[in-house]
Amino acid sequence: MSLAVEIGGLRLKNPLLAASGTFGYGVEYEGLIDLSRLGGVVSKGLYLEPRDGAPTPRIAETPSGLLNAIGLQGVGIHAFVRDVVPRMRRHDTALVVNVCGDSVEEYAEVARVCDATPGIAGLEINISCPNVKQGGIAFGGDPRMTHAVVAAVRAVTRLPVIPKLSPNVADITVFARAAEEAGADALSCINTLVGLSVDVETRRPKLGFGTGGLSGPAIRPIAVRMAWQAARAVKVPVIGIGGIACAEDALEFLIAGCRAVQIGTANFVDPQVHERVLAGIGDYLARHGLSDVCELVGTLEYPGEAPRCPAGGSS
Amino acid sequence: MPANRTASLVAREGLGGAYFLLTFLHPEAAREAQAGQFVMIKAGVSAEPPLRRPFSILEASPERETFTLFVKAIGQGSRALAALPLGGVAQCLGPLGRPFAAPADGEEALMVGGGYGVAPLGFLGGELRRRGEPARLFYGGRTSADLPLLKRLKQQGLEVVPATEDGTTGVAGRVTVALEAHLEATTGARRLYACGPEAMMHAVARIAAARGLAAQVSLDPWMGCGVGTCLGCVVRIQRAEDARWKYRCACTEGPVFEAAHVVWPGEAESHARQARAAAGEARA
Repeated sequence: MSLAVEIGGLRLKNPLLAASGTFGYGVEYEGLIDLSRLGGVVSKGLYLEPRDGAPTPRIAETPSGLLNAIGLQGVGIHAFVRDVVPRMRRHDTALVVNVCGDSVEEYAEVARVCDATPGIAGLEINISCPNVKQGGIAFGGDPRMTHAVVAAVRAVTRLPVIPKLSPNVADITVFARAAEEAGADALSCINTLVGLSVDVETRRPKLGFGTGGLSGPAIRPIAVRMAWQAARAVKVPVIGIGGIACAEDALEFLIAGCRAVQIGTANFVDPQVHERVLAGIGDYLARHGLSDVCELVGTLEYPGEAPRCPAGGSS
Repeated sequence: MPANRTASLVAREGLGGAYFLLTFLHPEAAREAQAGQFVMIKAGVSAEPPLRRPFSILEASPERETFTLFVKAIGQGSRALAALPLGGVAQCLGPLGRPFAAPADGEEALMVGGGYGVAPLGFLGGELRRRGEPARLFYGGRTSADLPLLKRLKQQGLEVVPATEDGTTGVAGRVTVALEAHLEATTGARRLYACGPEAMMHAVARIAAARGLAAQVSLDPWMGCGVGTCLGCVVRIQRAEDARWKYRCACTEGPVFEAAHVVWPGEAESHARQARAAAGEARA
């Protein structure tokens, strides 16, 4: 049985990656889990320089979900390359860097550093973090800016370039196409949904930043829908992200058209969740007489004609 | 090295009200736990609540391969844990975090615990008592019902000074009143340890700073992962030599910190930094 997939030049032994922001830099899990069981690890978002991140409190639990505003606290790309990459090279898993920037130039510069660093397998371009005042969503909320960032990164690297799209837009397909036109090798869909939790006693937001990004099983149907829309809009492969906590969740994304998936919030709940998801995918393939996980991708039998309305609509 | 495994509940003791002692089978945590360390734990595999919860370890028994938590079942996660049937299974990662530093030879350990924050101090007190080292626990709550571990800790031979704000048990007033009275009445080398509500730990930190005593606190912010990846539990930490504070993960760089390194709410700098600035002015 083959679980290997190829995502725009990024070869993965299986279709499971750990999502950015939910797995640190990977090395935090050394000794606790077998990192080589993961197809890949996407790093916490990295700028050129270290960042403090958002004020506390930074996380709040919500029904089947987690609202966070970490604000991209990080060590910066240079410390990552010096301290983390050599350690992660010891593990047989693809290391993908989540690239951040306050400007188009900064994204490109981080990408340039990564390109010159053996041991980095791909770049996920973070144009969708809702928890920073500038950058992030400023680039992911305007298709021209999305195009500009992706094109700038594309110009400086041969590594697979994988923009991570925001769900906080009216029509994700516009952004998917803009990214593809700019030279993206694949797309990650989706980042968190902007939410607000209120402490009714203090009448203040529960998070220090104010609003936050919602993740976890609560967002899964939205994520599957948006990943499915993006996958139908472009030729490049899509990596599905959003609330995956078990094999069936991952299978939903694969059937909807994603060639790989990322597990995010569920890593906090159980750092070995990928073992269960992997085993469950294997069982499913065997039960359905499939020998290759790729045979499953995009096999959704949608009733009638799929709606063109971006949000799916309701009536 | 912490271990991520299922842990079955082998004993549950109700202590009145919402308080429980819950004992779980977890060989690694039982063997390796040190005072001040914690586990991330969640009852069963249900979707709700989504996250595991951090609990400081009260006791560990390497022989029985168990550890015991002191739980106040007030939230979704703690209630589900307390409602587990015997033999019921929790998902548990641990032991985690930086433990308390032992007192130096001849130092008296003065521990200040408030509410369910007494748990890691119960562990520390037990260790010190077994080693025959001087230790005293100031155990505070609003009323006597908030001191459910009082009897047990005393029975174990720990020197406990209870304090209640309504005066129903022990010293009347805040637990720091009892601490200050002891500090006034005695002499010799002392080291402070505190765990409980933030305002209580802040008060202990101020007392330590004013008297030039070393003090460690076990902080309790919301935690997502317990292993330093979610960055949800960061606290502001500033050593004397740091020009400005940095966010540090309470799960991996704490939960135990030097009280003087914490930038407490309402203060711009840590006590260590403030002391350094004061010393500089005194020289100038």
